[in-house]
Amino acid sequence: MSDKNKGLSKAQEIYLNRLQRVKELKAAGKKIIGYPCVYVPLEMLTALDLVPYRTCGDIKEPITESDRALPSSFCPIMRTCLDCALKGKNDFLDGMVTIHSCDPQEKTARAWESYTNYPYFHFIDMPITVRPEALEYFKSQLNDFKKTLEAYTGKKLSTDKLEAAIKSHNQQRALLRELYELTKPSPPLISGTEIVQVVKALMSLPAAEGNELLTEVISEVKSRTDGPEEKSARLFIWTSILDDTEIMKVFEAKANVVMDESCGGMRAWRAGVKFTADPLEGLADYYINEITCARTFRQATLGETRKDYARDLQSRFGYLRSIVKEWKINGAIILLVRYCDPFAFEIPSLKDYLDSLRVPNIYIEYDYTIGALAPLRTRVEAFLETIS
Amino acid sequence: MTGEKEIKTINRLESMHPLRAKVNETYLKSIEAIQAGKPTVWAMLNFYYGDPILKAMDIEVVYPENYGAIAAATGVAQQYLERAEADGFPSHLCGYSLNTLGYTSRMMKELNGQIPPEAPFGGMPKPLFLMSSAAICDARYKWFQALGRYMDVPVWALEAPTPGTKEFFIEGYYDRMVDLEVKHLRDFVAFVEGMVGKKMDWDKLDETTNLMIEVNRVWYEVNELRKAKPCPMHSRDFWSAMPAALFLAGELEDSLKLYQDMYKEVKDRVDSHVNAIPEEKYRLVFAELPPWHSLGFFNKLAERGWNFVVESFGYRPPIPIDLSKVSDPLERITRFNLQFYVGYYEDARKQNMLGNALAYPYLKYAREWKCDGAFLHPLISCRSASTHLPYVADMLMEELKVPSLSIEGDIVDLRLFNPEDALAKAEPFEEAMEHYRKVRKQEGFDW
Repeated sequence: MSDKNKGLSKAQEIYLNRLQRVKELKAAGKKIIGYPCVYVPLEMLTALDLVPYRTCGDIKEPITESDRALPSSFCPIMRTCLDCALKGKNDFLDGMVTIHSCDPQEKTARAWESYTNYPYFHFIDMPITVRPEALEYFKSQLNDFKKTLEAYTGKKLSTDKLEAAIKSHNQQRALLRELYELTKPSPPLISGTEIVQVVKALMSLPAAEGNELLTEVISEVKSRTDGPEEKSARLFIWTSILDDTEIMKVFEAKANVVMDESCGGMRAWRAGVKFTADPLEGLADYYINEITCARTFRQATLGETRKDYARDLQSRFGYLRSIVKEWKINGAIILLVRYCDPFAFEIPSLKDYLDSLRVPNIYIEYDYTIGALAPLRTRVEAFLETIS
Repeated sequence: MTGEKEIKTINRLESMHPLRAKVNETYLKSIEAIQAGKPTVWAMLNFYYGDPILKAMDIEVVYPENYGAIAAATGVAQQYLERAEADGFPSHLCGYSLNTLGYTSRMMKELNGQIPPEAPFGGMPKPLFLMSSAAICDARYKWFQALGRYMDVPVWALEAPTPGTKEFFIEGYYDRMVDLEVKHLRDFVAFVEGMVGKKMDWDKLDETTNLMIEVNRVWYEVNELRKAKPCPMHSRDFWSAMPAALFLAGELEDSLKLYQDMYKEVKDRVDSHVNAIPEEKYRLVFAELPPWHSLGFFNKLAERGWNFVVESFGYRPPIPIDLSKVSDPLERITRFNLQFYVGYYEDARKQNMLGNALAYPYLKYAREWKCDGAFLHPLISCRSASTHLPYVADMLMEELKVPSLSIEGDIVDLRLFNPEDALAKAEPFEEAMEHYRKVRKQEGFDW
C-alpha cells in the first residue's frame, strides 16, 4: 500500500486538488504567480522566492465567460484558461506572467490583463526565429521582465540567485527525463496517465518541492510491482498540451503511452539551461532553441538560399528519430486541438517525417472538451486495430 | 443579391478611380513581367517592412493573401481548398492559406511547376523565394513553411516584435525593438541580394522609403478629413484606394500624386459639406475586411443613412512620424513599420487606457469620428484578424456606450456572409444606436 503523502499518491492528490498547496503557501506569506505557457522562464520567479503556478483550463467546465472576449472559433485551451480566470478560479494569484509564444496566447493575454486586477501583470514578447538578433531581443525581453519583478518584489534578482534557480529547474528537467526512462521497458513502469498527474503537480509546486516529489516518484516507480499492464501498442502522442488524465485515459484504455510530446509531457523538459556568464543568455537560448513547440520557425540552415525538404523535416522533427527508436514506438497519434494554427500547419509534414521512420500514425482533432472524448476514443480504437 | 442591379447610393470619390486604375494597371504589368520570366517573390502583407526592400530591388511580388480573395471571387478557390484538405491540412485553417496550399499542390504535383490553366489573373508562378511575416498571426509564417512540402523554395520569415502596452514604456524598450528589426532587415537584404544575384541600390532604397512614408502620410491625412460631419468619404473608397499605400502597389511617385489629388477632393467636399451618402443618419466604424463579394450591400445601408466613416486599425496607415533625421533607410523603414504597431500606445497611455490596448484604436475612432455604432465582420477562417472583435464590442459599450452589430462572414467562403440576414438586423440595430445616443448624452459624451 502506497503512502498517501508520498510519490505517485501525492502527485495524484495534488493533481486532483491543485489549489490546496498554493493556498497553504500563500497563507504562509508566499506570493503566487500564474503563467499559462511553458515558455515563461520560471527560473526568474523561483530566484525571487515567488511560486510559479500554471493556470490551466478545465475540460469539464462549459465556457461561458470567455465569450465576452474571445470568439468561439478560437484556441479552446486559451478560451477555457481565460474562462476559469474570469470565473474567479485564479483570484488567489498575486500576479500573472504571459508570453507571446503564439498568437492566441498574445491575444488572450491582452484580454486577461484588461479583465483582471492582479497586483502584478507582465507580458513577454517572443520572436519566432532562432536567429542571433532574435535571441538578443528575447534576452532583452527577459531583462525587462527581471526589472519588473524586482520592482514588484522590492528585491534584487542577483546572478547567484538566478543560477541557483536554474540549477534547481535543471534538476527538475533531469529528473523528469529520468522518469521518462521508466517508460522504456515493456510494459512501462509508469503510465502516461500517471505522468500527466506528476507533471501537472510539478506545475503547481515550487521547484524544490517538485524535485522532492519527482525523486519520490522515481524511487517508487523503480521498485513498484503494480505498474501498467502491457498493451497492444506503444504509443507516441504529439500535441500542443495534454494536461488532463481523462484525455490520456482514452489512449491508455488499449495501449501504453510511452512518450507524450506535449506541454503536459516531455516537451518543456527535454534539455537543460546552459550556464552562461549572463544567465539571461542561457535562459533565452533554452526557451527559444530547446523547447520543440511548433510555434518556432526552424530551418536546416539559418537564412538558407537553397531549400531541401528532407533536411527541412530533419531540422524540425529530427529529435523524434531517437525517441521512436529508444522507446520502441509502434504507433503515433497526432492530436490536434482545433484552431491551433501552429500545430495544424505542421501535420502533413510531421506525417511525412513519421512515414519516413515507418511509424504508423493518425491525425485526430478534438476541441479539448469532455464531450469530444467519446468520438476521440472511437478513432483511437480504430487506429489501434489497424496497427495491431 | 446576386443578379439585382446595384443602386449606387454612395457618392464615390472621383479621385479614387485613377488611383484604383493605376493599381490595376500595375497588377497587369506585373503579370506580364512575370510571364516574361522576371523573378517573382510570394510575400505576406508585412506592414511596410519587407516590401520596400523588394521594391527597391525591382522584384515582382505577388501576395497569396490577395490571390486567395481573387480565387474565391472567381470561383476557383473551392478546388484548391479541397485539394489542401485532401493533402492533410485541417479545414479550419485560414482560407487564404488553404487556397495557396491547394494551388501549389496542383501546380507542383500535377503540372510540374506550370501555372494551372484555370488560375485567374495569370496565376502565381513558382517563386524565387517566399517572404513570410510574423505580424498579426501565426498562420502567416507557418503557411509558407508548410509550402516546403511542395516546392524547394527558400523562406525568409520576417520578425515582427509585438510589445505589451505597458511594457512598451520600460526604458529602452522601443530602441531594442528598433535594434532587432534593423539587424534583421540588414540580414534580409543580404539574403535577397544572394537570391537575385545583384547588390542593393541604397540610393534607390532611400528614395523608395521616403516615398512610402510620404504616400502613407498623405493617405493618413485624407482619412483624418473624414472626421467631418457629414463624412465626405465612405469606406468603399477607403478599400478601393488602400492597396497603393498598404501593399505599395504601383509606382510610388504616381501614388503620391494620386493621393494628393484625393486629399484635395475630400477637403473640397468637407469645405462644401458634401456627404458620401444622401443623408447621414448614423456614422459607423467597420471592423475587419469587408465582404468583397457583396460590396453592393453597402449601398442598401447607405439608403438607410448608414455612413461608414472609419475602418479597422490593421489596414489604416500609421500615425505620421517624423523620420527625416534618420539617415539609415533600414532604420527609417523599421521605425515606420513599428509605428504601425505602437503608434497608438502613447495616446492610450495619456488617456489612461493602456489596459484596453487591443480595443484602443476603435475607442479612439468611435470618439474622434463620432461613431454611433460598430459593424463587426468576424471572418470565420481568419481568426487572428477577428479574435479581438468580441473584446472591442465589449469595450466600446463599456467605455463609450457605442453598440456593435456582429455579422459573420469569411475571406474565401462566400456562402458564410448573408447580406439579407444582415439587412434584416439593420432596423433593430438602428433602434440600439438611437437608444445609446441618448445614453451617451446623459453620461456627458459629446456625440
